[in-house]
Amino acid sequence: MDATFLMNNLWIIVCTVLVLLMQGGFILLEAGSTRMKNAGHIAGKTVFTVGIVSLVFWAVGYGLIYGEGNAFIGFSNFFYGDATTMGEGLAGSVDFMFQLAFAAIAMTIAFGGFAERAKLIGYVIFAILFSIVIYPVIAHWIWGGGWLGEHGKQDFAGSTVVHLTGAAAALAATMILKPRIGKYNKDGSSNEIAGHNQVFTALGVLLLWVGWFGFNAGSTFGVEDAFFGYVALNTQLAAGAGAIGAMLMVWAVTGKADVPTTLNGALAGLVAITASCAFVEPWAAVIIGLVGGAFVFFSMRFFDKRKIDDPIFALSVHGTVGIWGTLSNGLFATPELASVGRPGLFYGGGFEQLGVQLLGVVACGLYAFIVSWIILKVMDKAMGGLRVTEEEEIMGLDISEHGGYGYPENLTRPESKSGA
Amino acid sequence: MFSTYEELKQWRENTIRSVADDHLQLNAFHDQLMYQAATIAMDKIESEQGNPPAPFAFFVMGSAGRFEQSVWSDQDHGIVFDGDENVQHYFLELGEEISRGLATVGYEWCEGQVMASNPLWCRSVVSFQDQISEWLDEASWQSLRNFSIIIDSRVLYGKEELLERVKHEAYSRLENHPSLYARLVDNFEFIKKGVGVFGQLLPDQRQGMKGDIHLKETAYFPYVNALRILALRSGAMAAPTISRFEALKGKYPFIEEYEKDFRHLLEFRLRLRQGAENYEKVHLLPIDRLTKEEKQELKYLIRRGNQLFAKSKSIVRKELRL
Repeated sequence: MDATFLMNNLWIIVCTVLVLLMQGGFILLEAGSTRMKNAGHIAGKTVFTVGIVSLVFWAVGYGLIYGEGNAFIGFSNFFYGDATTMGEGLAGSVDFMFQLAFAAIAMTIAFGGFAERAKLIGYVIFAILFSIVIYPVIAHWIWGGGWLGEHGKQDFAGSTVVHLTGAAAALAATMILKPRIGKYNKDGSSNEIAGHNQVFTALGVLLLWVGWFGFNAGSTFGVEDAFFGYVALNTQLAAGAGAIGAMLMVWAVTGKADVPTTLNGALAGLVAITASCAFVEPWAAVIIGLVGGAFVFFSMRFFDKRKIDDPIFALSVHGTVGIWGTLSNGLFATPELASVGRPGLFYGGGFEQLGVQLLGVVACGLYAFIVSWIILKVMDKAMGGLRVTEEEEIMGLDISEHGGYGYPENLTRPESKSGA
Repeated sequence: MFSTYEELKQWRENTIRSVADDHLQLNAFHDQLMYQAATIAMDKIESEQGNPPAPFAFFVMGSAGRFEQSVWSDQDHGIVFDGDENVQHYFLELGEEISRGLATVGYEWCEGQVMASNPLWCRSVVSFQDQISEWLDEASWQSLRNFSIIIDSRVLYGKEELLERVKHEAYSRLENHPSLYARLVDNFEFIKKGVGVFGQLLPDQRQGMKGDIHLKETAYFPYVNALRILALRSGAMAAPTISRFEALKGKYPFIEEYEKDFRHLLEFRLRLRQGAENYEKVHLLPIDRLTKEEKQELKYLIRRGNQLFAKSKSIVRKELRL
């Protein structure tokens, strides 16, 4: 069998594993950024929702994205099980696995908006619905031969498809769930609810960073010309620049180099470069990362002031910066590298590509937000509330939803004192 | 009649078995014990510090306030006085003495410090009224819990009218701010699950409670909390759940069928837990010691409590057009 074919497939399955391992990064990032009493819950729900997404993606998700269909949705290849290989490109199962890992990432990002207050059953139901009616639709539009792909929208590894989609769902969730108890005071001022372990958060970011090479460099879908190395280079530069950009910004504005902001900066650099990593030059990757890092700081403050409680900053890191990353193509895409669409504004491409990118952002962001909003509102009504009761939120979701603490030695179970 | 707490303790030990299977007799006996303890404490403070500097009332809250104690109970009480804040120290000392006395007689210290020795629960009428306004303004989980604690109160010793003045303030504030009823429903929305999807009993997993059903949290609270919310909605002042059932039947006919379930639950609790060796154990029911019939009985009572709470909740929400 052709060596290139084998290497392509081997490369992509390695990248699949890397992308799946990003879930480990999310577990550490989210657990570290939230309170001890919810740590076991955050970790556990991440694993089981990956399970749900996997089954739903196998049953219908893949078919809705890549099946035969129209400009809006695919409609074949359900219950995927193609064991044949074509001898060129990717084996179907390898491609399927790689795509599945992406869908799971979008889901985990969306669940960032649920953190520390949603009922467990809400995760189960939303995981199923998100994986059927939200993610596949947008992925089809851009990657599955849908109308945005035909317009020449550049989204190499998924700034829009994965990050913005997840963040838009997270925004709907966090608005419907409302802020956590204790986040805002009566006078409207906000309190910081600090995460319980910055080391976890930092390790989570590093794990995501490493996994991101699977995400971005893997999106080459092959080893031809070893172009994945170039994509990896841009990814590394943007991540570094993002961390620096965010740290400089928070230090300049507040006088302190806040650690969570710096860590979010690195993630912001990664999210920002995700759309453009194959289309821009390294110097542009640095700018894209730096700006992403700076944006994430302002975005965190913006949502905080608007009384939108975003416990793990999913809206800022994946939403705001996902938008910036997608738009940055319209500025920095070079004529040589723009294999899809047109060069950016700074390369004489005019505003055309920027317009296409903007259209993609608005269409995808709105679709994901509106459909998530409707689904979550209906769930909220039907379930008698998407949010746990006050008492459960105070005792923590580890106990209320799972019956045991992530840190059993450090926390004692509360005695209910409701009747005195 | 009794001059020391030790004598009272003796009386308790000699008598409690004979009343332990009758809810009314048992609670009348608790009232007597607590009243006598308060009398001894009052005599002691009077002899040391002179007469009370202002009219006052010693009141009980929690299960004592609701006239629903089991064989063992912890202390939940307060003092309200009609005077300046500068006389508070007298009553705090009285509160401390009563707490000590009750502890000797066999009522555990309240872990949450709901005791007249705590300045939060020993204050003038005006100060209590202000505190209630503050709690309702804040409307946080804890402040609404405190509010509900004082709503379930009953004077045991002293001037009843003082506590009534405090409660009147509470009820009229609620009437003027109806959205608070919804917050109070939220406050009690959590009900510890007692029956699983297969209809099986769900024992506690907590250390020291493994294999037990926490009767108070699982079965008893839904009834109590439902009736408290309806009582607040209707301005019914009595604290005992049974009195609330009686007072509210007219306005909320649906509760009538649950009253017998609640009485049954009180009887069930006494039947199964009168042999409990301490306060901690009195709420815990080891399910492996229950007969098949008792398990069925318990599941039924748990389900009925949940139903009652759900119905009450939806009625209050409907009344408020939420």
